[in-house]
Amino acid sequence: MEQRDVILRVRDLNFYYGKKHAVQGVSMDVEKNRITALIGPSGCGKTTLLRCFNRMHDLYAGNRHEGEIIFKGKNILDKDTDVTSLRSEMGMVFQKPTPFPMTIFDNIAYGLRLKGIKNKTELADRIEKAIKQAALWDEVSDRLNTSAGGLSGGQQQRLVIARALAVEPDVILFDEPTSALDPISTGKIEELMTSIKNKVTIVIVTHNMQQAARISDYTAFMYLGRLVEYDKTDVMFTAPNEKLTEDYITGRFG
Amino acid sequence: MDAKRTRAVNGVFSGVTFLSSFTVIMAVLGIFACLCLESAPAVREYGFFRFITETRWDYAENVFGGFRPLAGTVLTSAGALLIAVPVAIGIAVFITELCPSFLKGSISMAIELLAAIPSIIYGMWGLFTFAPLIENTLQKWIGGTFGQIPFIGSFFSAQYAGGVSIFTASLVLSIMIVPYIASIARDTFSQTPAILKESAYGIGATKWEVIRDVVMPYCKTGTNSGIIIAAGRALGETMAIAYVIGNRHGPLNSLFDPYTTITSVLANEFNEASGLHMSSLFLLAFILFIANFATLTAAKIYIRKKVNR
Amino acid sequence: MITGYARRKITNAAALVLSACAAALGLFFLFYILADVLRHGIMSINLKLFTLDAAPPMMAGAEGGLRQAFAGQLMLTGGAVLIGVPLGILGGTFLAEYGRFSKIGRFISGLSDITVSMPSIIIGTFIYSILVKPFGGFNGWAGAAALAVIMLPIVIRTTEEMMRLVPWTTREAAFALGAPYYKVITQVVWRGAAAGIFTGILLSVARVAGETAPLLFTSFNNNFLTFDMSGPMPSLTVTIYQYAASPYEEWVKLAWAASFVITLFILIINILGRQFIKWRYKN
Repeated sequence: MEQRDVILRVRDLNFYYGKKHAVQGVSMDVEKNRITALIGPSGCGKTTLLRCFNRMHDLYAGNRHEGEIIFKGKNILDKDTDVTSLRSEMGMVFQKPTPFPMTIFDNIAYGLRLKGIKNKTELADRIEKAIKQAALWDEVSDRLNTSAGGLSGGQQQRLVIARALAVEPDVILFDEPTSALDPISTGKIEELMTSIKNKVTIVIVTHNMQQAARISDYTAFMYLGRLVEYDKTDVMFTAPNEKLTEDYITGRFG
Repeated sequence: MDAKRTRAVNGVFSGVTFLSSFTVIMAVLGIFACLCLESAPAVREYGFFRFITETRWDYAENVFGGFRPLAGTVLTSAGALLIAVPVAIGIAVFITELCPSFLKGSISMAIELLAAIPSIIYGMWGLFTFAPLIENTLQKWIGGTFGQIPFIGSFFSAQYAGGVSIFTASLVLSIMIVPYIASIARDTFSQTPAILKESAYGIGATKWEVIRDVVMPYCKTGTNSGIIIAAGRALGETMAIAYVIGNRHGPLNSLFDPYTTITSVLANEFNEASGLHMSSLFLLAFILFIANFATLTAAKIYIRKKVNR
Repeated sequence: MITGYARRKITNAAALVLSACAAALGLFFLFYILADVLRHGIMSINLKLFTLDAAPPMMAGAEGGLRQAFAGQLMLTGGAVLIGVPLGILGGTFLAEYGRFSKIGRFISGLSDITVSMPSIIIGTFIYSILVKPFGGFNGWAGAAALAVIMLPIVIRTTEEMMRLVPWTTREAAFALGAPYYKVITQVVWRGAAAGIFTGILLSVARVAGETAPLLFTSFNNNFLTFDMSGPMPSLTVTIYQYAASPYEEWVKLAWAASFVITLFILIINILGRQFIKWRYKN
């Protein structure tokens, strides 16, 4: 592979849920301002790997990592990493929309207020910018002060993306963001991801191989906790090196 | 023939079960009717409004006003809630968010056991151990610190010995209602969807910020209903209060004055009362019944409204 | 920015420390109360407590126990179980089965929830006016009835909940064999819910065993052993209440001993009952 602008450098990453060895010796470089898709059958470790990037596993007891994930010149798996500030630089979007029980405005303001932004005009400006980036402005501009629970599922998911974008993270991690959505909403989210990649690096876990093929620049195929193959998406989907990748992509298993 | 018999037996059985469940309605109606009838003489004598504003409770003059017991009930319950709500929510936060999982079960059970200890045991402990302790510690300290302030200082100084007071009663009551709020808050906290919490962590919120901004708003309905139910319990709590309130029919001038509540006056005087005195006690019981019933009904309606929305 | 972030970290740590303190406070008071009851009560626990009746105070060399109160407590609680349990189980059966979609069923279920939290002293005044005043004096039946009124909504609601836990498909399987509804209930649903209902009854017994307020105006108290439910009946709780307030050291000691026994009994039932439910309904 040619010289790339790497934002996340993963080296010999191992992850254990108690005794279960869920991620086994993964090494990969995630390129900046590109979309990297993690694919593989259920239980292959792709979501586990994604959740290592923002140390989400720390919330639960009995988990353990080994290895390195270098982000901004520092191993984020180090004990002294400040996970709270790490997470504000690394947004996350989940399978289901997760609007907080607040208004649309407050949902997006939330992360900004945590960062200490209290100035009303600055807040309003950044919120408008984030909602516009998330292609939601036309639909919600007249009801920013209503509860976020009143939006449709697709709108809620774009709201959550706007919330992640508002704090201007370096990376946004997407964990099957469209698995609970209809095809039209899915299309909008995919379009949105492509339109924001010049501002933010995207790592997406997906079950949907067409989705990976449509939007990603790089694709990593995982199987049973191991990284089987990782390459440019067009290479992966046209001329994979590994038999296992080919079998998966052509739907022969999984 | 056989099918007919089967249908008859089923009919009888369903009728018996219906009548059994109907006894709950009968009991509630019976309580309402009895308390109404028995308190009628007092209502005739004073009128409802004069009864609840009359401060005197005097056997010699045969005047019985409900103001002080009512005020005592409201004040002790409010004081207890003031202390119990933050403590109980703290306990729920600890159990759901901080506690190592192997301790969760035992700590939850221990807190719930606080609700299983009989009221009279709280009373024994309160009278013989806790009240003297309060007298020698908190009461002394508060009196020494705030007692010197002009005009309002006397409100913080003790006039009576023994440590039995409206202050001690509120403290004991707060310990008794903590488990009701804590266990409901814990149940609702633990039902907050994990990915909702994770998405708040995901934009860099600290644990406390996640609890304050996501878990607590999400669980507002459940926690509030727990608080209302605890308020209903506090209003009707009897034996513990009867031990530590001091049962004094006098004006309340200090936080550390002995006072009276509806339940303590009932427990202390009911068996020796007759005539107007008895009827006034029934009227107090009736007011308590309505207050408790209204509080708990409000909790039910509140939950139903919020959940259906 | 830095200070804002540092302040957030400090607030976080402070809030979490405070929540741990709240939990410690709750535990502290539980153990404080239990230790206090143990400390005062354990010295007066001996065989005589259970075999002798109360002795008049201040009598030289008089030795007394609380046999009469233990016996009375058993009879009052037993009476309450006799009245409250069958009514509660049958009533709960209506709510979970025949009445489960009816307005009246839902109403009674809600009303029972409210009645569970009704002040027990109010139930005492109610029973006084229907079972004491008309019959000319305190009596054991009135005490048992007052406790039964307290038990009833608890047993009704537990029965309802436990029967609802039995999957609907289980009933359908029995219907498919041609069983009539009452047989489905008595032979299939009750059997499936039995462990839960039984535990619920045990917990409700623990609840009423500690009740004092409803007995004050109904069964009152008696310093002599009696098996006559139509006269005043002694109970542990009312005895504690009266003896604790008495000026006689011997009686105060007996009150602590009774407190110890009753607390121990209630805690054991609660712990075993809760563990059993947890174990039984793990899935």
